[in-house]
Amino acid sequence: MKVKDFLTLTFFSMGLTLILWFLITYTKIMPQAASYEAKHVDGAFNAMLAVTVPIFALVITFVVYTLFRYSAGKDQSEGIKFYGSGNGIVEAAWIFLSLALTLGLAALGTKELFAIRGNDQADLNIQVKASQFSWEFYYPEQNIFSPELILPEGKRVRLLLSSEDVVHSFWVPEFRLKQDLLPGKVVKLLFTPSKLGQYTLFCSELCGSGHTTMTAPVRVVEKEQFAASIKEQSW
Amino acid sequence: MFYFLRALIFGLVTFSGILFSLSYKISLQAAMVLAYFSGNLAFLVGIGAVRCFKQWLYGEKDAEAHKEETGWKRYFQFTLDHKVIGVQYLVTSFVIFTIAVTMASIMRLELARPEMQFLSFEQYHTIMGMHGISMIVVALIAILGGLGNYFVPIMIGTKDMAFPRLNALSYWMLPPAVILLVSSLFFGGFDFGWTAYPPLSVQGPLGKLSFLLAFITVGFSSIFGGVNFMTTILRLRAKGMDFFKLPIFVWSVFSAGIIVLLATSVVASSLILVVFDRAMGTSFFDPSRGGNALLYQHLFWFYSHPAVYIMILPAFGIILEILPVYARKPLFAYKITAFSFIGIVILSFVVWAHHIFTSGMWDLLTIPFMITTELISVPTGVVFLSALGTLWMGQIRLKVPMLFALGFIFNFLIGGLTGIFNADVPSDLHLHDTYFVVAHFHYTLFGGVIFGLFAGIYHWFPKITGRMFNQTLGKIHFWLIFIGFNSTFLPMFWLGARGMRRRVADYPLEFGNVQLWVSLAAILIIIGVIIFLYNMVQSSIKGTMADSNPWQAHSLEWQIPSPPPKENFEQLPEVKTLPYEYGKIST
Repeated sequence: MKVKDFLTLTFFSMGLTLILWFLITYTKIMPQAASYEAKHVDGAFNAMLAVTVPIFALVITFVVYTLFRYSAGKDQSEGIKFYGSGNGIVEAAWIFLSLALTLGLAALGTKELFAIRGNDQADLNIQVKASQFSWEFYYPEQNIFSPELILPEGKRVRLLLSSEDVVHSFWVPEFRLKQDLLPGKVVKLLFTPSKLGQYTLFCSELCGSGHTTMTAPVRVVEKEQFAASIKEQSW
Repeated sequence: MFYFLRALIFGLVTFSGILFSLSYKISLQAAMVLAYFSGNLAFLVGIGAVRCFKQWLYGEKDAEAHKEETGWKRYFQFTLDHKVIGVQYLVTSFVIFTIAVTMASIMRLELARPEMQFLSFEQYHTIMGMHGISMIVVALIAILGGLGNYFVPIMIGTKDMAFPRLNALSYWMLPPAVILLVSSLFFGGFDFGWTAYPPLSVQGPLGKLSFLLAFITVGFSSIFGGVNFMTTILRLRAKGMDFFKLPIFVWSVFSAGIIVLLATSVVASSLILVVFDRAMGTSFFDPSRGGNALLYQHLFWFYSHPAVYIMILPAFGIILEILPVYARKPLFAYKITAFSFIGIVILSFVVWAHHIFTSGMWDLLTIPFMITTELISVPTGVVFLSALGTLWMGQIRLKVPMLFALGFIFNFLIGGLTGIFNADVPSDLHLHDTYFVVAHFHYTLFGGVIFGLFAGIYHWFPKITGRMFNQTLGKIHFWLIFIGFNSTFLPMFWLGARGMRRRVADYPLEFGNVQLWVSLAAILIIIGVIIFLYNMVQSSIKGTMADSNPWQAHSLEWQIPSPPPKENFEQLPEVKTLPYEYGKIST
């Protein structure tokens, strides 16, 4: 590989990286973040973008450049340009680099996972019951059932998830957390809502004919209004 | 044809006879299981699978070879020639592929606008599951069963597979399974996608049982194929062909065979347990009676993740087989690529739980699975190194198979890199079960496996039929499907991350415009597929005659006439070098 090749590849792959980066940022690939855990999920997501986008740009630039530079065109003769069936240094470097990158990403993922799951303390317990095809929320401390999931901003909540029949899944895109609800088992999910607003809870595990419409409203309210808000819901 | 019709009649009569006579005495579900297996056996008897026993009984010796018909009729009976079986597999795959594309078109039509247009939720789920399982079957059998059966024996320089009867059996188990799968539409359909998670798969209509039985049959057929490939490659190589002189495609089939053999029995057993739960009242997966729903997911993904390597490894093999021919250069880093296939095989068995990070498994256990999954990108990276190294400084000829090979590199690069996002536990908590995953696996399975299949079919078409395909139509097919595929599935990454769930028939209004774009772009894929099918049928009947080695390739299958004669070689060849000595000496 000559200096000219190297410079061309660097220039075009950096250009492509910038274009892709601009597109990804401009189209706002993630919805707004409404929990503290969402920051860690986005952190892991962005770190992986930072690694994969340049790799993608580099490989694609390399292939396209090679196609132009070494096209046989109309010449179908068997000319000898280069006979290389391997290169020990390139192979070793390639393996070492990919190993280092993957282990680095895995380490970062582990770190973010601990940031999301590490703390088992919560200020508030809520029981979430799913059945084909509806959600029900129970606040044991206040003894209130509610069709809407109401959460206090800035308080860590512990959801106790259980299913009456088949496997369902709890997902609020703005919280970035997903957890399956298994029949015959109580699964915990802890997080801290960090932004006031109305969101939607989706069932994200195929659970039968009504799966598409199995949603529930979610509302994050100020700490002070929390008690009053859930009392209104009582039914 | 006579045998095929006889088999169909035998199978249908036995199936309906047993179903109707037993459903009065035992439950309908149990009657269905018995009826299906008896019907399948009757089909095999009808097609002539037990002829060998009859001959043995009457003391006839080797009469079979003389009785086999020639011409197109041999494709409709229990023929032992591996080339006939390969073509049977390929044609069957494209029949199933057409079903799957039809299902996908119906889905995209429904999804083009928000709210429900013309389908009910149940119908949508059935069509979606049908599309899923059909494409899984195509990806499993088309390359391995079709091109693998046809070319592995020739590439290693032998007359046939090690077990020709087992080979024919593994093919003829498929037609009843496909018929049953399609008939499930009339038994109430199935609404559990292609994964059949219990308890959902235990409740509900008879159509779900048809799905399970069809899936189990495909599993058995796949195991027979896998064991056959491994034995053939281990025992029947030509003189001088040691393991490091094997063409890379043979390496990939060998690696896939290992996975088939070790993993398929696990999914078959888990599906059989679901059948027990349905038909016999057991409760392996029913928590209300002491079962465990999560257990199924572990068993299922213990096969179904390695299964994607059963699909993609032969596609890697085809691409790396094709690149040297059209770049006129030796395959780069042959040895470590072969080792990386084995590395993928080993790693594929310890990554299954990345499908169930959100299922309620122990958090700390997700970390080792994240690490092993991300480690798979190292051997996969070696495949890319090999592809890029082969291209560099070559003499690149942009023929149709080469275009598909390059398209594979582009698509699979995106598919592979986005896989890292799904393998990482924190981002998977958000991305799991969204369109991001849908886009990811379409990039690996459609953009990868199916592009590899197209590349392989175009590359070997002159060898199989003895005729050349229409190259202009081939190029139009490539550009339509490459542009159509990317415009269809690239926006899905965005949709998924923004909050679009998978497996839903309706979606929030904000996604309306992007979904419409996706549906419109999918039209390009459909036109591309139609052009491909037309080109294949037209060229195999009326195409210009091709000489025996139109691409000037060096591997063994190109050194014999096209189409290859029965038993392939006049005398078995002796091999001295790797088949990739391009550019070094003019041949």
